[in-house]
Amino acid sequence: MTASDLFIALPELFILVMACLIMLIDLYLPENRRGMVSFISVLTLLFAGIMVMRWQAVDSSTAQYAFNGTFVRDRMADVLKVFCFIVLGAVFVYAKHYLRVFKLMCGEYYVLSLFLLLGAMVLISAASLLTVYLGLELISLSSYALVALNRDDRRGAEAAMKYFILGSLASGLLLYGMSMLYGVTGSLSLSDIAASVAIAGDNVMLVFALVFVVVGIAFKLGAVPFHMWVPDVYHGAPAAVTMLIGSVPKLAAFAMAIRLLDNGLVPMQGDWMAMLTVLAALSIIVGNLVAIAQTNLKRMLAYSTISHMGFLLLGVLAGTAQGYSAAMFYAITYAIMSTGAFAVLIMLSKSGIEAENLDDYKGLNQRNPLLAALMLMLMFSMAGIPVFVGFFAKWLVIQAILDVGLLWLAVVAVVFSVIGSFYYLRVVKLMYFDEPETTDKVTAPADFRFVLTVNGVAQLLMGIFANALIALCVASF
Amino acid sequence: MLADYFPILVFLGISVALGAILVVVGSVLGPKRPGDDKMSPYECGFEAFEDARMKFDVRYYLVAILFIIFDLEIAFLFPWAVVLESIGWTGFWAMMVFLGILVVGFIYEWKKGALEW
Amino acid sequence: MSIQVLVFYLFGTILTLSALSVITVRNPVYAALFLVLAFFSSAAIWMLLEVEFLAITLVLVYVGAVMVLFLFVVMMLDVNLSRLREGFARYLPVGILVALVMAGELLLVIWTKGAEKLPLPPGNPEGFSNTTYLGERLYTEYLFPFEIAAVILLVAIVAAITLTHRGRSEGGRYQDPARQVQVTRDERVRIVSMPAVKDKENGA
Repeated sequence: MTASDLFIALPELFILVMACLIMLIDLYLPENRRGMVSFISVLTLLFAGIMVMRWQAVDSSTAQYAFNGTFVRDRMADVLKVFCFIVLGAVFVYAKHYLRVFKLMCGEYYVLSLFLLLGAMVLISAASLLTVYLGLELISLSSYALVALNRDDRRGAEAAMKYFILGSLASGLLLYGMSMLYGVTGSLSLSDIAASVAIAGDNVMLVFALVFVVVGIAFKLGAVPFHMWVPDVYHGAPAAVTMLIGSVPKLAAFAMAIRLLDNGLVPMQGDWMAMLTVLAALSIIVGNLVAIAQTNLKRMLAYSTISHMGFLLLGVLAGTAQGYSAAMFYAITYAIMSTGAFAVLIMLSKSGIEAENLDDYKGLNQRNPLLAALMLMLMFSMAGIPVFVGFFAKWLVIQAILDVGLLWLAVVAVVFSVIGSFYYLRVVKLMYFDEPETTDKVTAPADFRFVLTVNGVAQLLMGIFANALIALCVASF
Repeated sequence: MLADYFPILVFLGISVALGAILVVVGSVLGPKRPGDDKMSPYECGFEAFEDARMKFDVRYYLVAILFIIFDLEIAFLFPWAVVLESIGWTGFWAMMVFLGILVVGFIYEWKKGALEW
Repeated sequence: MSIQVLVFYLFGTILTLSALSVITVRNPVYAALFLVLAFFSSAAIWMLLEVEFLAITLVLVYVGAVMVLFLFVVMMLDVNLSRLREGFARYLPVGILVALVMAGELLLVIWTKGAEKLPLPPGNPEGFSNTTYLGERLYTEYLFPFEIAAVILLVAIVAAITLTHRGRSEGGRYQDPARQVQVTRDERVRIVSMPAVKDKENGA
């Protein structure tokens, strides 16, 4: 280890030190000063973002390895990390309001979220099976605990239990696959694995290893048929935690797919392409169809996540640089969209009751026109209506699979995204054309409203100026 | 190398065999005349009035889990202590950082009152 | 067949059988004890691989700590066994179907691809010590994963305390060892001087 190793991993070290510090600060803060923790956490993210952007590796177009090739910093890692910080920053602002209203205000939310972020960063920068697994476990452990944060809530405890059991099963499968990979190739480093796999060729052990690895990835993304945990966890967890689980971990799961499948197992592209095709098609179909039947917004968004993850997989399975950059664009825009949607839910929630039923959105336009307009933009973007950024995300992944000649899959994706737009538009219809059931004022602190406005308007602006972000994603591969 | 463990294998074999023999001999040769009173659970002479299993305070498990975590931490110390001379200062500080991170956890648990009964 | 292979198959069989028993026996206490046996047999197999340190750690950490916690939980907790088994028969056909499909796919893959033997890794040199080898790699080559492992342990501490710790309940009686130690004589014993009184009525 040298000083340059530490320099390459500086943002990670910074987050680690700050997470520990915030944990200690929180212990000594009086009850009424808890808001400080949120403020320091957001500042931490800001500084970490500056660190990633300012102190770039000497030449960011080439990958830089550190710690004996277990850690890599490349363009993709930098871009994804910066977006992790941005999304998590918004989540922190929203969560502060939620935790206050629901009397869950505790430093642990922020500490565990920062550790989750650290896990995501480790996973994003993983160059060895060990770091992939440890990063993933760090994310998972933090999220299991976060889901049960409101421990007096039976639903939350049940969701955490399901999440934990299914999650450890998936981790076990992934680990089993990794052990087989190591057995065949004799190396933990992903680039060495790619080299040995290319030489080993068709090997039955490798096929098994690949199956287990793909199952692990599919579970973490929540792709059908490994999606069972998604609706329960989204529904059962406190909204501030659901919002978190829908944001940073999705970016990390995308990175995990790229690291394992592209960096590590690229010689087996033909094999994993077939598996991902099935997963993607099923996710898009099941996710969109089941979402229509939901009357609970959290569950609806859970199924919508499943279908979005299907779209994300479309880009990955294309197996081209174009496909990867499209998937990356999709992951980033999805994380921003879903955070915004949950923020609207939080803003409508009253003490003790989350606004999770679709009926709660009736006539929102009359109660708070700005909030309704923001939700409209978020829903349009999720549905993939042109000009909004969600449209470009879908457009890019579909273009990527068309370029590799998967016309039928593209048709399935388009048809089901049209079907899926029904349930997004239903929310819009409820907000604009139905009478409100209550006339309660919808209020939130100024910082909450400001970030939410930016978040909603970003759907439009990112759509109009999509080229910048697309260029960033394309340059990553 | 492996041959060094042969006595242990023999020891294991003998102890398993001995244990099995004792159980088998006891059950074959011992008299068995079960009756209702003999088979019923015994609780200080009066009728048993509750199940042995009950809800337990979750704090017991907290203590146990914290023990396991620090047990694992200790397990990492052994190889470090063995090779401390050859891994140099890098290795030394690696363990110090490791312990430092866990000390943060220890402070947290102390201040939260998780160690108090 | 060398004695080594024989021992491997012996412990392999015990491991498989005890693992099977873990999920088939009715009594959860027996299941936990079978799990102990399974851990123990895998430790023996690791011993055959000459990874003494890991084998000992497996016994110490899993058998010594984790399984004790497990046993503690299953023995103490009020688990309603009949309710746990509800729906077992209902899901059994689906479970068997899935298992058969999986087994079929496994066979199909092995059948089409053919299971080739992987080359044996080279044996360890004379005087090889697993503990030394581990130590020399873990704290230098795998420094980064090692520190992340510490963070995972830290998260486990935070998670365990967040989820289970409720602080002392209101109105409960608790000991405070610090105050107990600092106690002075004056706080415990009060000497009351009483005038000596003759017991007249009885003495008379």
